[in-house]
Amino acid sequence: MSVLEIKDITKSFDGLSVLKGISLTVDKGEVVAVIGPSGGGKSTLLRCATTLENVDGGSISIGGDVLVSTEKSGHPHYCDKATLQRIRSKFGLVFQNFNLFPHFSVRRNITEALIHVHKKDRIEADLICDKLLVKMGLEEKADAYPCNLSGGQQQRVSIARALATNPEIIFFDEPTSALDPELTQGVLKVIRELAAEHMTMVIVTHEMSFARDVADRIIFMDGGVIVEEGPAEQVINHPMNERTKEFLSGY
Amino acid sequence: MDSPFSALLTIISQLSAGLVYTLGIFFFTLIFSLPLGLAVARGRMAKNRIVSNLVRFYISIMRGTPLMLQLLLVYFGPYYIFGISTGKVKLGVFDYRFIATVIGFSLNYAAYFAEIFRGGIQSMSKGQYEAAQVLGFTKMQTYFRIILPQVIKRVLPSVTNEVITLVKDTSLAQVLSVTEMFTAAKMLASAQVSVIPFIVAGFFYYVMNGIIEVVMNRIEKKMNYYS
Repeated sequence: MSVLEIKDITKSFDGLSVLKGISLTVDKGEVVAVIGPSGGGKSTLLRCATTLENVDGGSISIGGDVLVSTEKSGHPHYCDKATLQRIRSKFGLVFQNFNLFPHFSVRRNITEALIHVHKKDRIEADLICDKLLVKMGLEEKADAYPCNLSGGQQQRVSIARALATNPEIIFFDEPTSALDPELTQGVLKVIRELAAEHMTMVIVTHEMSFARDVADRIIFMDGGVIVEEGPAEQVINHPMNERTKEFLSGY
Repeated sequence: MDSPFSALLTIISQLSAGLVYTLGIFFFTLIFSLPLGLAVARGRMAKNRIVSNLVRFYISIMRGTPLMLQLLLVYFGPYYIFGISTGKVKLGVFDYRFIATVIGFSLNYAAYFAEIFRGGIQSMSKGQYEAAQVLGFTKMQTYFRIILPQVIKRVLPSVTNEVITLVKDTSLAQVLSVTEMFTAAKMLASAQVSVIPFIVAGFFYYVMNGIIEVVMNRIEKKMNYYS
């Protein structure tokens, strides 16, 4: 069963075409890594899938709910508010620069949406939070504020925040790009553990060896199109396309 | 001739009576202008061009003309422009003189607060909105739970500035013959042929602002739990 279904989406900014017809299906339990040069459309793809940008055409469904579909007339049709709200509870997004709420403690960062969006009571939300913090190795930090944490710890909090609502799929937008190499490892370890638990994930990353290890499938994007796609090992170690080879030789 | 001591007592008791009006103008202005400023800031940032331009015009008038003139207009405007007699208008114990003062001050200060709030709101990173959005928070929840608390911390020093200015600006109410502290000081000074009332009034203003500084510093410190 596919959790994410993207069909032929297009997106342009001020006449500059950034996505030129991207299709991508992600099955339950699958880990897909998206690699490619900056400006190739990776982040835009992720932002379209996570409702942060509207597509110009094509269709997207998440967890069986249609976010957007395009009729024959060519105009994209977005779902109603209730569906949108349901879709947002089905995915989590981890940002490159965390975007934690600085005025909330770690605990409140994780529980705020549970309590005020998902209407769970505080005790249940706290239980979920405690479990996640143990998983992230941050059980001591529940009452700390983001500004007192290292970048790696902040990113793990934001992963916990994304996991709290028990989503069907998690998107990672270059989760380690804002971190020192030293801090990167802790975050990658957490993502590896999630992969081992068969969490469905789409990861935009520049960490090639990590992508090869953790992903089932790798997608190489450049110039707004998917240039090459295949099993992780194959794309990284034996790329077919010249452009992919050229890109990977830089690593 | 009164003894210097009893003259000082007269000054203090009469200025205290004026101080009640000064404090009244001060607190009512804050109560009305702070929320109004927030609303004006929203209007100023509205996507609707007509709304944002109207609000921009309002702010430019409020900032570009003397507050004293605005007070006179609010007080005399209803009668001279619309022929509405305001002599019998009363809200509880407050006559139109006082009401007009509070309206004038509130409209004026809301414009200044609005620009401060706008600066604070626009300094928030887009990421805060996006994180809230994907977590499913509504626009209202995002504004009141995520954005506004952070904006308040950022604008506090500038708001303190305006609040201190407001204490001193209350003296402008004298143009509407509201017997606030400055008016009282002026009357006493001419009655006693002395500058002592002015000095005592100055001391009162200074103490008020000293209290405001202490209070605002405390609030700032309280919000320093994160950076």
